[in-house]
Amino acid sequence: MAITRVEVTPKQGTGMRDVRGDVVRRQLMADHGIDVSEVRSITGFLIKSSVPSSDISERVNDLFSDPIIEDAVTDTLFLTSPLHFPIAPDAAITVGFKPGVTDNPGSAAYDGFRTIFTQDESLEDASISTYQTYIFYGLPSEVTAEWLATTLHNNLIQRAEIADGEACAQAQWPAIDYPEKPPQTRTPPQAMNLEIPDEELIALSESGLLALNLEEMQTIQRHYRDAEIQASRAAVGIVGNAPTDVELECLAQTWSEHCKHKIFASKIHHVDTETGEDSVIDSIFKTHIMKPTHDMQKEVDWLLSVFHDNSGVIAWDENWSVCMKAETHNSPSALDPYGGAMTGIVGVNRDILGTGLGARPIANTDVFCFGPPNWEGELPDNLFHPSRVLRGVHAGVRVGGNESGIPTVNGAIVFDDRYIGKPLVYCGTVGIMPRVLPDGRESHIKTPTSGDIVYMVGGRVGYDGIHGATFSSLELTEESPSSAVQIGDPITQKKMLDMVLEARDAGLITCITDNGAGGLSSSIGEMAEYTNGCEIDLAKVPLKQPGLSAWEILVSESQERMTIAVKSSDCAAFESMAKLHEVEATAVATFTSSGMFHVKYDTDTVAYLPIEFLHDGVPQLQLESEWRTPQQAIFNPENIVLGDDAGHSPVLLDMLARPNIASKESWVRQYDHEVIAQTAVKPFVGVERDGPGDAGVIAPLHGDPHGLVISCGIAPRYSDLDAGAMAAASIDEAVRNAVCAGIDVDKMAGLDNFCWPDSIESVKTPDGRFKLAQLVRANRELERVCRAYRLPCVSGKDSMKNDYGSGENKISIPPTLLYSVFGDQPDVRFTATSDFKGAGERVYLVGISKEELGASELSFMMKENGRAEGIGGQVPLLPHPEQNIKTYRALSTAIHAGLIQTAHDCSEGGVAVAAAEMCIGGRIGAELDIDGTGESSVWSRLWGESLGRFIVGVQPEHEADFIEWMAGHPLTFLGTVTASQELIISDGYEPLIKLKIPAMVDAWQNTLDMTGGVA
Amino acid sequence: MSAPRVAVLFGFGINCDHETAAVFNLVGGNSERIHLNHFVQGNRVLDDFDILAVPGGFSFGDHLGSGRLMGNRMRFALREQLHAFVAAGKPIIGICNGFQVLVKTGLLPGPNTSNPLPDFVQRASLTLNDSGRYEDRWVTLEFDPDSPCIWTKGIQRIDCPVRHGEGKFVMPSSTDFDALSANHQLAVRYVDPSTPVGQGVTDDPLPFPISPNGSMRNVAGVCDSTGLVFGLMPHPEAVYAKWLHPHHTRGSAPGPLSSDVLGEWEGEGLQMFRNAIEYVMSKR
Repeated sequence: MAITRVEVTPKQGTGMRDVRGDVVRRQLMADHGIDVSEVRSITGFLIKSSVPSSDISERVNDLFSDPIIEDAVTDTLFLTSPLHFPIAPDAAITVGFKPGVTDNPGSAAYDGFRTIFTQDESLEDASISTYQTYIFYGLPSEVTAEWLATTLHNNLIQRAEIADGEACAQAQWPAIDYPEKPPQTRTPPQAMNLEIPDEELIALSESGLLALNLEEMQTIQRHYRDAEIQASRAAVGIVGNAPTDVELECLAQTWSEHCKHKIFASKIHHVDTETGEDSVIDSIFKTHIMKPTHDMQKEVDWLLSVFHDNSGVIAWDENWSVCMKAETHNSPSALDPYGGAMTGIVGVNRDILGTGLGARPIANTDVFCFGPPNWEGELPDNLFHPSRVLRGVHAGVRVGGNESGIPTVNGAIVFDDRYIGKPLVYCGTVGIMPRVLPDGRESHIKTPTSGDIVYMVGGRVGYDGIHGATFSSLELTEESPSSAVQIGDPITQKKMLDMVLEARDAGLITCITDNGAGGLSSSIGEMAEYTNGCEIDLAKVPLKQPGLSAWEILVSESQERMTIAVKSSDCAAFESMAKLHEVEATAVATFTSSGMFHVKYDTDTVAYLPIEFLHDGVPQLQLESEWRTPQQAIFNPENIVLGDDAGHSPVLLDMLARPNIASKESWVRQYDHEVIAQTAVKPFVGVERDGPGDAGVIAPLHGDPHGLVISCGIAPRYSDLDAGAMAAASIDEAVRNAVCAGIDVDKMAGLDNFCWPDSIESVKTPDGRFKLAQLVRANRELERVCRAYRLPCVSGKDSMKNDYGSGENKISIPPTLLYSVFGDQPDVRFTATSDFKGAGERVYLVGISKEELGASELSFMMKENGRAEGIGGQVPLLPHPEQNIKTYRALSTAIHAGLIQTAHDCSEGGVAVAAAEMCIGGRIGAELDIDGTGESSVWSRLWGESLGRFIVGVQPEHEADFIEWMAGHPLTFLGTVTASQELIISDGYEPLIKLKIPAMVDAWQNTLDMTGGVA
Repeated sequence: MSAPRVAVLFGFGINCDHETAAVFNLVGGNSERIHLNHFVQGNRVLDDFDILAVPGGFSFGDHLGSGRLMGNRMRFALREQLHAFVAAGKPIIGICNGFQVLVKTGLLPGPNTSNPLPDFVQRASLTLNDSGRYEDRWVTLEFDPDSPCIWTKGIQRIDCPVRHGEGKFVMPSSTDFDALSANHQLAVRYVDPSTPVGQGVTDDPLPFPISPNGSMRNVAGVCDSTGLVFGLMPHPEAVYAKWLHPHHTRGSAPGPLSSDVLGEWEGEGLQMFRNAIEYVMSKR
């Protein structure tokens, strides 16, 4: 087959512009302050096919270029055309993919190629690879082409060809060639001798990226010493006394921390050096998460499915149920921010599709934790600058969510130096399904039976994504493998999603789950528990390229795949539906009741593992935990010198500009938050649609105002003082945000997503006991608060190895809990938003401001600015959550009753920041007095982050009713919204803050606007 | 009289099919989401329907240009059916990605009035926003009251969200625009919301974000010369109810004071779909 090159470049002329080039130019300015006068772009296609170049050339305008806006050339480089590029540039850089990396534009081009050259049978083997060339004019002399290239590509997945000024002057243009994959040969399964000394067992685990500890390796060793096991293995013709590589890999995936949550399941010996407590916790998960939820499940009728499925399901009304799941994709996002984040979002979408008999994803949430985008300190080897991680992760989630047609309705971005070591990328998805399918089955219950045929549906299996699960169970190193990184393909997934939901409604699906971590090994393995057995034929699995070995096929995490079981009588209908949707569906396995996970390659048995051993064989970890309160220098604001008149004003401007508080609008606006036509409260609210939204509200049934609220809470700063307080604050913040939008507090559910540094004591982690104690405290607070709020945790996930490097250079993230809440909103026409609605509105504080400035955003800012010693002191606590929830219920029902339309959660930056945001949203001033809001200092009442607080606005005509409604709850009058453009906050007669609204808007909006404008 | 039948296309990355189908049903249509391949393979025929809608989305990931690959599938496989549909006087709407598809197939803006039926020649394009960014933001639109477009009759000015990265409407020369303008085919434009209603339209480029994409002559949508085929980048279906307008929580979402469908809560976007349903009914 020949390779034809086609290049396309935007036409030059009045009103036309080269936007791709322009984006590069603006980003160089925004991120690096480099002023380039012009950047132009060329998109290239390398077409490997039997179609002659002359035929392709004739049809170029039908496919590769748009004749209205673009010019194209075939079999030559555009840079050689003096007509298009008359002046030699200062640099030209071409970026293409490495062999085997997902090339979505290339796949789309191939599809279009088939539409045009449809008759040609030989096109089956054709393929198209794409590349981009950037051409720089007016490049400052100190900027080298080599450095420019590093900003334009990630050498883990891409390659670059570079022509510097000299090469350009001599017309030596970059000409990238087709990324041909080297041929691979399949290695037949091998027996793995485990009759070796302990140290060799460990070495085997490490060298093979198995992430199994000695006890786990020994458990596997013992399994193969069992005479009965050996005999049963001999009967199917597989090596008797040793695992095959297929089996060892399969066990490593299934038993990985990522899949089995071994730390949450461990037996923990917990010591508290301060209280003298010495106790044993048999599984944090069962004790503090599962048990409370199961207790609540006995008391309500709407908890349909918790913990065991891909997401937790609650009944929403008579006819519909909703479900939600959140995942993290931290390690892949560190290596390739774009691809890692994209697979994060499309991956969690599949969790929803794989819930029950298939739910439809209807809303996404994204929460990111990054290093500061303006970081000027050193960067460890192999780590990207935080601004690049931010751009890449944002782009990946944007493309993944937008192209899938799922609105992003809620999220957050949090910054801390330690996330340089490992960014956290939380992606959540809400789904909806009819409670009963047309055939009468309840949708949240899977119904597989022995004999059902198991299909792999969607994408094919390749080398990408081998060892993702085990890799994420290890710390990041300079040698982390590129095969653990994949790029998502949202359109392949969207086609699959459309098809699967049609198949569900046609009653064709008996069981479904997604292929994520651990690939087919996990997906079929987990589903096989229902019928107690399966038989897989790996030779039937369609591959991206030939040559994969059996174990690679079994554990590859190649994206966009679901595993679906179908009754044999329905196979024909299922396959024809797949064909219509142009979705690949291949029968690869059969459910059995043999008790065995039986894997064949063609006729050879390559793995033969008892289901029970596979799923329950992993030995329980025994871990040590020891708590001592971290010593932090006290934050004492009384020493901070302020100006005389309204001296807190400059502090407010500084606080509004803090990345943790500043507007994220320029980023969030790039997410589609309104597709499906259901979003009733959007991420931005107010007069200019740029004030902060507290929670997302959707009305997913068209024509019906019945709603759902989706919110989140995250407070990692507090972990520096007490991870327990951090957990309580996260939950409380999520609930408060939801209350602002009018959630029914008696019908809401939560998700706990823990991201922790390694907390197993070892040479690498000498402080493992303390980090584990942080986890213990966080979970104890989680149970206490959730029980008081009657807030069941219906799904969750943990990511337990968020560290970079070792020794002195080790970076561990602050222990971080993302708590997400979703629940009922009776009528979206009665909700509240943070923007002040108009002059005369009466402003109240709900809750009490206590002396709680420890680990506040203010303390971190003052410490960073050298105006305070430390961040220590009293961290915000939640001593009486059972009282809080009563207040929340009163507030939420006041919203339903139409008494208030303005409510804002009071968190980072306290009353001052919340009030400022409400003024910004309403583009209107207010005159507030914080006297009487608590027995605490001025600093605490203004900037403190005490939990349980809201600022609300009440129209004067509803004021009396509102006060009566809130009787018995902490409520303090703050002041009035004024027709001025000024926020004035005082403490009695002492003026604290006096600022014009436009100044606050500028401070709040400029920090994170890295778009470089529109020019 | 039976309800007009509406075919709402989906597949290959179209993703506004559910809500597009729903809004037609709200105003008395009988809509059905149908995979494009049903028409391509002949399981279903376009002729059985009264209205065709190509919803928004990301068909084929917008690779090789938004709407291009979907447009090609339709241009090559449904050419006769589409021609016959328009010839039979049946309305077609393309929203966002659907508009891009209709432009790339050549259905919009289509040939001149002397021979108004589709010739599948591309005359315009929708290209990357000047900002270089995909954005979801609300814009204000004003409609040409003299347009032959059956979809926009009686609509003056509405607020709508745009959600696109490639919404800049371009044509090769200003004479192309002059011809469309003379025919009143530049049916809907971005306008500055602070202008008096009815006086917002201008040919001079409006600044970002009033014009979210830098469209030539601020064009948000165009119709063909028959007035049957209409496409626009903004999403009228996404404001079928006032509770979807960002200002509903401020009590200031614009729209009709009362409606047979949603009472006082009908949004400004619904009328466009009602227009098409009523047009079909009027021709019976």
